[in-house]
Amino acid sequence: MEHNNIADVLRQGIVVFIFLAVLTALEFFVAVAIGAVPLLIVMAVVKVGLVLYYYMHIYRLNEDSGDDHHSLIYKTATNRLGLWLFLLSDSFVFGGLLVARFYLLSLTRPPLNQTLGLIVTSVLLLSSFFMNRAEASMEHGDRKGFVIGIVATLVLGLGFVAGVLGVEWPSAIAEGVTPSVNAAGAIFFMMTGMHALHVVTGLIFLSIVLRNGSRGVYSAEKHWGVEAAAVYWHFVDVVWIFFYPALYLIGRLI
Amino acid sequence: MKKLYSSALVRGLIWQFIGWLVGALFVTLIRLLMGLKTLDTFFFTEPAWVFGGFVGVLSFFAGSGVLHDWFLWAKGEEAPEHHEDPAGWEKYINVSLDHKVIGIQYTLTSLFLLVVGGSFALIFRTELAQPGLQFLTLQWYNTLMSLHGIVMIIGILVGVAGVMNYLVPLLIGAQDMAFPRLNAFSYWIAVPGVVLLLSSLALGGFDTGWTGYPPLSARAPVGMQMFFMGVFTSGWSSVLGGLNLIATTLRMRAKGMTAFRMPILVWAAIATSLITLTATQLIGLSFQLVMFQRLLGMGFFDPAKGGDPILFQHMFWFYSHPAVYVFVLPGLGVISELIPVFVRKPLYGYRWIAMSSLGIALVGFLVWAHHMFASGMNQYLQVPFMYSTLLVAVPTGVKFFSWVATLWKGKIETPTAMLFVIGGIVVFLLGGLSGPPNATVATDLHLTDTYFIVGHFHDTIFGGYVFPFFAAIYYWFPKATGRRMNETLGKIHFWLMTPAFLTLTLLMMRIGMLGMRRRIADYDPALGFTAYHVVMTISGFLIALSILIFLINIFRSMKQGEKAEGNLWNSRSPEWQVPSPMPVQNYVHPLEVVGEPYDYGLLGSEYTRFIEDK
Repeated sequence: MEHNNIADVLRQGIVVFIFLAVLTALEFFVAVAIGAVPLLIVMAVVKVGLVLYYYMHIYRLNEDSGDDHHSLIYKTATNRLGLWLFLLSDSFVFGGLLVARFYLLSLTRPPLNQTLGLIVTSVLLLSSFFMNRAEASMEHGDRKGFVIGIVATLVLGLGFVAGVLGVEWPSAIAEGVTPSVNAAGAIFFMMTGMHALHVVTGLIFLSIVLRNGSRGVYSAEKHWGVEAAAVYWHFVDVVWIFFYPALYLIGRLI
Repeated sequence: MKKLYSSALVRGLIWQFIGWLVGALFVTLIRLLMGLKTLDTFFFTEPAWVFGGFVGVLSFFAGSGVLHDWFLWAKGEEAPEHHEDPAGWEKYINVSLDHKVIGIQYTLTSLFLLVVGGSFALIFRTELAQPGLQFLTLQWYNTLMSLHGIVMIIGILVGVAGVMNYLVPLLIGAQDMAFPRLNAFSYWIAVPGVVLLLSSLALGGFDTGWTGYPPLSARAPVGMQMFFMGVFTSGWSSVLGGLNLIATTLRMRAKGMTAFRMPILVWAAIATSLITLTATQLIGLSFQLVMFQRLLGMGFFDPAKGGDPILFQHMFWFYSHPAVYVFVLPGLGVISELIPVFVRKPLYGYRWIAMSSLGIALVGFLVWAHHMFASGMNQYLQVPFMYSTLLVAVPTGVKFFSWVATLWKGKIETPTAMLFVIGGIVVFLLGGLSGPPNATVATDLHLTDTYFIVGHFHDTIFGGYVFPFFAAIYYWFPKATGRRMNETLGKIHFWLMTPAFLTLTLLMMRIGMLGMRRRIADYDPALGFTAYHVVMTISGFLIALSILIFLINIFRSMKQGEKAEGNLWNSRSPEWQVPSPMPVQNYVHPLEVVGEPYDYGLLGSEYTRFIEDK
């Protein structure tokens, strides 16, 4: 496993989160004040890179897992490959939605509440931060830290779903952005709806992992379920890192 | 009989039906409470049918028990590493984790679908023998024509999955796939998908052709929704199967099997799986968007709301063009696999062939808009897509060159399997040569939506998939069952099907060039095509007769075929070095690869060796 001690890992998580938070704030500022689309794209890509490397540990795909096909480490590495292949497949759904959004609306955007968008984005980002802490704790055998981290992730995840479905959708409809009014409304509800569906499945995985984890199913050596739920959860965050600017920041109002 | 009723298949189907009904009643009840319309032309309203269909699929999983082990894991319990399968035929209608059983399940399902889809073709082909409408209405003609297309496509996808599922773990010396439970799930999700798709027959059908373009598909009867849901559900079979095959080849290879010592079929499986894993999501998404447009009035493809139907075509063809490479790449892999065995010579240009499969798959991602030259898309896209399409001919040419060079001066044996390989090469060549006229914008504008296209793609799919699929069955049937198929019946099958098929497609191309439109139920007798149509209909029935002979051969050989002993075809491949039928655990002793796979006829060369003392 990781050689660094837990304090270092947790500190690294905090530093990465600060970078992500600053970039998110900058993004908002750039969009509102300058509106430079290429800059927004670059910032989103940098954020995704940070999450892929530091939170999702994409480099683990490259780790040596030995030759014994029956060892736990080999099987876990195979599972990891399978999960990443699934994420690759899933990203084509979200990529397709992004293509549809720019094909139909090009550089215009529906009248949505940008502050509300920033708030739900922050909530999701914060949940990723706690998810990372939960996984790191389990890796070092700290079950209490794991439970705290997962519960925080769950609460924030629920907050995100409630924010999007319970606050954002009604307020968009009040602004006249309904699913059937025009293509922009349709795209907005399809993108947020598809993303929310993934958040909800992620919440189900997290609850399963929380229940098993608090009953002692996982250990520092054997916790593939935790790692899988974490990687999936961060992936949902990665998707939102692209969806948020595409829906709320890029383009002029229609 | 009791075994049948308690099987996963029958339980799943019963649960699916009940789930469907419950879901539909639930929506109907809610609509009643909301004061909306509760009943429609086809009894339930469209939202009720769709939601019910969705619940039905979930119920199928519950009823068949395919999710059982995953529930154990979610509860934090250990699931057994292996499940014991029953000994007899029951294992094929129950959930099995053995890749060989799943491969046969896929193959049998594929044969069933190809027969169903073929029967649809016979019905409307009979109608087309004479101008005017004889016994079909326009709506029925359109539905059968559309269903023929999509049922055949799903049948082929399922058949491809069958061949690859059965063979890839054997060829790489693995005990099973990387994810056996996911493998079982990938098969079983296709079953409720097919039920949904065929249910469109009872719900007004659909008249769009298999492509389901809006705006027509946004207006067609409820059957359209069943088409979308059925394809979407079965599509998951492709996605997850592709994922599993990539993970299997990357992680489960025997010792010493480096990338350039893998059999060509395994290379083809990787290339195919890269496409199914990723591009399938785009057709799924495009179908979902139309479904939501119909259900909630979301205006993705509705110009009145700022939508654009061309967007659908882009997303649809982003999958559906690479999909034809999904159909043919494994077939071309089978051809490359069998030729050296029956020519007793090394495969010419192994590395080039291996790379050409990947090349076709990757270039295949960049050609989709050649289906849309006449659609009104941006004109500046036409020329780049024309050239990228013509580029596909290069890796395909590499394959042909290698086959011819391998056959050159070889001692060719021609059992039925090899006949189908040679037939496949000839037919695929015709399909390939009739491709560039469609890829070139100037000629395509004349040929779009004519029978020329129909002839072209039937040649590519028969040459690239159907002929090699039959070759694979004749070749590996003894491995799966321990008995050989009858050679005489096999040769009758080949010599009946091939000339009939060539007549059919060459005439299709001829009348297409002269102006026969595709997808129409009626044509003007003054065009002078009637005689051609009569001949084509007769050819269609001859093909059906040959398939009937093939099916009889399969069922006869399973019971009374000659026992298959030892290395029947004198192959170097590891699966032929062990007894037939294949033992449950595949290889008792692990394999080690020590040489090149296709060095036939080289003295003292060795490919695999068993590590005896573990």
